[in-house]
Amino acid sequence: MKKNIKVWLVAGVAFLLFILSLAQLGLSRERLSAAYDRGMVIVDSMIPPSVSNPSNVATAALESLHVAVLGTLFGVVFSLILAVFAARNLTPHFTVSVAVKSFAAFVRAVPALIWAILFIIAVGLGPTPGILALAVNSIGMLVKVYAEAIEEIDIGIVEAMKSTGASPMQLVFQGVLPTMMSALVSWSIFRFDINIRYAAILGIVGAGGIGWELVRASRMAAYSEVMGITLVIFFMILVVENVTRLLKKRLDLASMETVRS
Amino acid sequence: MVVKTGQTDAIRSNREKTLGKVDQLLERHSNRSKRMNRERGLVGVIVLALVVWSWVMTEFKLSFLWSGLGNIANFFVNDLLPPDFSVLPRYLQPVIDTLVMSYLGMVMAVILSLVAGVLAASNTSPHKFVAFIFRSIVSFLRAIPALVWGLVLVSAFGLGSLAGTIAIGISGVGILGKAFADIIEEIDEGQVEGVKATGASWLQVLGRAVWPQFMAGFVAWSLYKMDLNIREAAVLGLIGAGGIGVALNSSIKLFQYQEAATGILIIFAMIIAVEYITSRVRKSIL
Repeated sequence: MKKNIKVWLVAGVAFLLFILSLAQLGLSRERLSAAYDRGMVIVDSMIPPSVSNPSNVATAALESLHVAVLGTLFGVVFSLILAVFAARNLTPHFTVSVAVKSFAAFVRAVPALIWAILFIIAVGLGPTPGILALAVNSIGMLVKVYAEAIEEIDIGIVEAMKSTGASPMQLVFQGVLPTMMSALVSWSIFRFDINIRYAAILGIVGAGGIGWELVRASRMAAYSEVMGITLVIFFMILVVENVTRLLKKRLDLASMETVRS
Repeated sequence: MVVKTGQTDAIRSNREKTLGKVDQLLERHSNRSKRMNRERGLVGVIVLALVVWSWVMTEFKLSFLWSGLGNIANFFVNDLLPPDFSVLPRYLQPVIDTLVMSYLGMVMAVILSLVAGVLAASNTSPHKFVAFIFRSIVSFLRAIPALVWGLVLVSAFGLGSLAGTIAIGISGVGILGKAFADIIEEIDEGQVEGVKATGASWLQVLGRAVWPQFMAGFVAWSLYKMDLNIREAAVLGLIGAGGIGVALNSSIKLFQYQEAATGILIIFAMIIAVEYITSRVRKSIL
């Protein structure tokens, strides 16, 4: 009964917020109908989609792919190092763990595009700020999930290795890495899927890739070109997702067979 | 003596049988690990090739990592800090706009996704073909980032938060439509059959059999979308689609980095606050 009242209360507040928000947005009939007319004109000029300079667009799309690959690579490498210090069972001191985890939380909460803008100011235009922005943004998420994966490993393995006198390096490479391998692989692939989406739009602020072509076309009001480039982005993401899924399946298949034998 | 030889023979043949089995197992194991190593090697080579290709094409140098991190640290300390809090009043309206965009975007996405989800789920869709069409539409919407929608919608609606709201709403259907359809497909068919057997209409089946099983997932995903929306709403302003990104962008363009630092901190605070509120709401409803 009490739960019911709570649900209705939440629903009431949600509805009130909805009304207030609508008022804030300042919708009016004229504005909507004007937007509708303009929208129809734009949709009309979008069809058929076209790409006036295919080789430029293809190069830009590949640059997005490259930015995503390198951003993920550096994100994974740095996250692995930081995760060892962030995981409660491996960290040299718990304050180090707290510090690394809060750093990751801050980095994660700032959106990738804002990182891109900051890096553009710091290192200039081009793919480099895009790579660095994606790497930093990936670190925010990967440190957290890697550290959780490390915290879940069997502490017995770590203790046994320590008692044989293994160095910290040996501990990481022979005890921790093999046990967290499957979590490592699946999270890294997941992050790559996210990064390719970001890489597609980083160009909007000037950090390399196909986003720049999109902004250029929309500034020139070349809507059929906008639609064409949007479709290229769509196919790029589709292809990348399917390829990563295929690779992941092959890896899973291989490791599943070892479990069975 | 005779008995003993018989025993030895039995033991010997047993031993040979066991050895044969072990050999077989060993061979199977080595075949599998060979296959596994081959698969891993193949994937490794592909990944390595991708990395090398990307490295060469973007003309990336390892030194960029150090100089880049050095530059950004330098930029943080010298230009960004300390944040200029005197601009807080100017950021008030953009903050409200951002929250409004995220919230209305969520409501719009939820309403559209309910329709799309029911029509895309194979067990509630009126026809297989309808389900296929709606699944495809939802995947298309999901594959195009919200910022791209924003860019197109700004041309139609002009600069401002209306374009951003609709962009968030449309791209939200890509995520929520798929989530809702997947949840509906996983519900217990027994209850649906039971209600259908009483001669209930399609809408009655949805309300009586589908909704009670669907509600928990519905609430959780909708609130999760709200968490995501606040991030998207914060950056949509970079292309002029309203919200705090507009103010942030103009501060950066005018080289007022200390003002921009305040903006970034506000975005950070908004994301944390919204995540806290949605988790409270989730707990009180579920």
